[in-house]
Amino acid sequence: MSTTQASYGTWSRPLKKTGLVGFLTTVDHKKIGIGYAIGALFFLLVGGVEALIIRLQLMSPENNLVDAETYNQLFTMHGTTMVFLAVMPLSAAFFNYIMPLQIGARDVAFPRLNALGLWCFIAGGVIVNLSWFFQAAPDIGWFGYAPLTSKQFDPDIGTDFWIIGLQILGIASLAGSFNFITTILNMRAPGLTMMRLPVFTWMTLITSFLIILAFPPITIALVELMFDRHFGTHFFNVAGGGKPILWQHVFWIFGHPEVYILILPAMGIISEVLPVFSRKPLFGYPLVVFSGAVIGFLGFAVWSHHMFTTGLGIVATSAFAFLTMLISIPTGVKIFNWIGTLWGGRISFSVPMLYALGFIWMFMMGGFTGIMHSSPPVDAQQQDSYFVIAHFHYVLIGGSIFALLCGIYFWFPKVTGKLMDEGAGKAFFYTIFFGFNLAFFPMHILGMTGMPRRTHTYKAEMGWAEPNFWSTIGALILGVGIAAVVLQVIYSCFKGKPSGNNPWDARTLEWDTSSPPKEYNFGYTPIIKARDQVWENNHGTDLKKMDKIAPDSHGIHMPDQSWWPLVVSIGLFIAGLGVVFHHQPWGMLIPFVGGESVISLLHITMPGLLLTFFGIYMWALEGPGGYHLHPDPEELKNAIDPKESGHWE
Amino acid sequence: MKWLTYIWIGILLLITGISIPQCLNTAGEGSFINKTGQQSTLDPQGPIAQNQLDVFYVTLWVTLFLFITVGGALAFATWKFRVRKGDDPNYIPAQSHGHPLVELGLVVGSAALLVVIAIPTFSGILLKDQIPVPEDGEVIEINVTGYQWWWGFEYPEHGIHTANEIVFPAGKVIKLNLKANDVIHSFWLPKLAGKMDLIPGRDNKMWIQADEPGYFWGQCAEYCGDSHAYMLFRAVALSEEDYAKWIVDQQTPSVAGGADYSPTNVEEADKDLILKGTDLFVQNCVRCHSVDPKVQTMGPNLAHFGSRTSIAAGWLENEPENLEHWILHPDKVKPGNFMWKGFPDPYNPKGPPQMEGLMDANLTREDAQALVAYLYSLK
Repeated sequence: MSTTQASYGTWSRPLKKTGLVGFLTTVDHKKIGIGYAIGALFFLLVGGVEALIIRLQLMSPENNLVDAETYNQLFTMHGTTMVFLAVMPLSAAFFNYIMPLQIGARDVAFPRLNALGLWCFIAGGVIVNLSWFFQAAPDIGWFGYAPLTSKQFDPDIGTDFWIIGLQILGIASLAGSFNFITTILNMRAPGLTMMRLPVFTWMTLITSFLIILAFPPITIALVELMFDRHFGTHFFNVAGGGKPILWQHVFWIFGHPEVYILILPAMGIISEVLPVFSRKPLFGYPLVVFSGAVIGFLGFAVWSHHMFTTGLGIVATSAFAFLTMLISIPTGVKIFNWIGTLWGGRISFSVPMLYALGFIWMFMMGGFTGIMHSSPPVDAQQQDSYFVIAHFHYVLIGGSIFALLCGIYFWFPKVTGKLMDEGAGKAFFYTIFFGFNLAFFPMHILGMTGMPRRTHTYKAEMGWAEPNFWSTIGALILGVGIAAVVLQVIYSCFKGKPSGNNPWDARTLEWDTSSPPKEYNFGYTPIIKARDQVWENNHGTDLKKMDKIAPDSHGIHMPDQSWWPLVVSIGLFIAGLGVVFHHQPWGMLIPFVGGESVISLLHITMPGLLLTFFGIYMWALEGPGGYHLHPDPEELKNAIDPKESGHWE
Repeated sequence: MKWLTYIWIGILLLITGISIPQCLNTAGEGSFINKTGQQSTLDPQGPIAQNQLDVFYVTLWVTLFLFITVGGALAFATWKFRVRKGDDPNYIPAQSHGHPLVELGLVVGSAALLVVIAIPTFSGILLKDQIPVPEDGEVIEINVTGYQWWWGFEYPEHGIHTANEIVFPAGKVIKLNLKANDVIHSFWLPKLAGKMDLIPGRDNKMWIQADEPGYFWGQCAEYCGDSHAYMLFRAVALSEEDYAKWIVDQQTPSVAGGADYSPTNVEEADKDLILKGTDLFVQNCVRCHSVDPKVQTMGPNLAHFGSRTSIAAGWLENEPENLEHWILHPDKVKPGNFMWKGFPDPYNPKGPPQMEGLMDANLTREDAQALVAYLYSLK
């Protein structure tokens, strides 16, 4: 392999591929994907520890492990961490790593923007969690209902950490989504038509559209809240003519699509794994794709089912109830098609398949309880009770987390070239499955017998002690299982047995390249002739076998590394901190600094924004750059010479 | 490694073995499913809660049917098409891609099942949102106000206020007008009706009805800040005669009136203690608490306090030891509440409180006992 390197402009670009510099300046979608995964798994453990403290507090009635305020901080941070810092970035890790490989692309469309997404995710995650170190973690719930978030009822800076953290995380999600949409629409390999796309790539596309449509509302809501808190506006302040209910509408028009942002990637992963281990194509591919799109579309029309108890009136309540029920149809279609995929197959129970089957069962349970509270009379009793907690943990752990773990076990050989031990994997799966059900099934009963959520304690005579006790035992077992999986991932990175390129006899394009893939992904341009191309290559007719076209004589064009995405995100981080500490005394930020002087936007935010704009300017100035790589001749053994292929005319 | 796995599986089986009999036990207070517990929705005592439970059972049966059929198909497929011992793992089954008729049929079938849920849903919405007007035209209205972290109840027809215990006649339609004073709360009386939110700047309403006289437990169901878990209340449904008597009792002043806070009926034996309590009450409590049923100040109205069954927004029973502890250390009973740390200034919430709390009052045990005696004299 030889490289040719050109330098652009006066600022020389980083060249080192390895080490710290290599990682900080990388634009390689694979390294960025791994960065997302490391961050997400770390925050998954943080959020898990928060959950375990919550469970230990509720283990017995009138328990005193943590006080009310700490408990409120814990459930706020648990929700925020799991939604924004664990499940979303873990999905983003798969989008980044797998999607370009599935479409035969060399990288994403905007490699530097991709790096910005990663660094903004890290910056946002750090800001949200920094609040712990100022003894001011937010205690407003992950939904932050006004007016509890106003300065009057919540004078601490926790809410400001939360607002700014979510804004920066929003930048990460939006940057990633625009990138993925552009990549999927423009950079597919020749012959890879939309209806030949792997379902996971389809779900990446749909999820990205959901993100770019759902994040603007939450951005606006957070800006309004920030202005209410710092600059004297009255969006949510009744005394000033504002409306607290406005927050709920704007939050949930983001929040409900967000639910599908969390579950659609999971459905995509399941739709990849089931065919592989059944050795059959996905049943009803067009319907699975279409129902994913319908779920995404309807997801924007049901937000008020989170507000059935706010007094919407008969018409709105009924309309949102029936629309919510409609969503169960495309969701049901997916489940039917997954069963259809199994039907007549040859099912082997490898670890990814166990998670996939576990997903279908648990997601079905969560879906059914979802149908229950789509009905407002039922919801009136279940809203804000433990029943709802049971419901969404069945779809978010039993659904999203099971699917993401499934994806980890499934694609681990592709990412590292190593296998994870099947026996250990199965033991951990059964531990997680058991612990999860013991932790969350009793919550249905708690909810129906009247236990409200977000309460740090309860009276002994309410009769909730037994289910709470067992739930805590289950949560501890679940925690052991998740921690074991994370340890197994780390262990297998170093000690796993070599896997070969395609250990599962899998079906889609990412399994055609080497494991781990080379920097340039594919040494050749694949010419796609079928939906499950790699399966056709191995088992299909000659007519459907893929063609490989060698690169031109100048090699494969690769994007240059860059410092500026990192610089921009550091600038945003500093600017954000400045907003958090706006009007706070200096002593709060720097110990031993006393006096009356307070921090203003000019002190920290202004320099931060200047750094951001400087970074963006330099980013534009340095240009995309690029260099060429020549793939290993071994890889091009059966490749057609580009001049003879006739594909480039 | 293998032994470790076996031991672990053993532990999991042991837990299953212990927990399943626990789950099946539905009798009594210590049981797993406390069906008749204080806040159980499975034990409705009024028409709305009954309707909501009925609709719940409709959804439960429909989804149970789906779970058995769809789950059955899933289990069957998983079992039937598994790789068996001696099978060739590289065998390639027929590569079928789907069946439009099967798929269409399943979509139509599931839509039909939704109609089964939609119809009772719609009638449930109508029942809840349309307040019935009884034949005699008499609807009893009660204004409910949510405060951090207690409930105010006002009877506009009779011009009386009370707190944390809502009293109404059984068998009658009770219209509740819901308002919030500070942040969002939610009124939840599980045995009578599902919840409805109290939102600042918004007038919500709901109705409840108790089939028989009874005593019910309720709780705030929307997260409302530090002491949200302690924001409970009680509901007392009385017979019509008892309710009429209760109204008359409440309307009768329990203190002399004006600037004189001394109780109207004082038993001779406790007179000194009660008078001491009166002085202490005037010094420490009247800025937030009114003892006149016609006046509502920023704290819970304490008129006729002696006749209530619970204190501290339903968290404790109204017994002398509890009340003494509550007065001496409200922070230990309900951490974060304003009775201890004072009522914050809305424009400077981190600054000195607008009203001082008991934190600075340095009440002694004797003081607390005097206050208890005074409060119990307000019958």
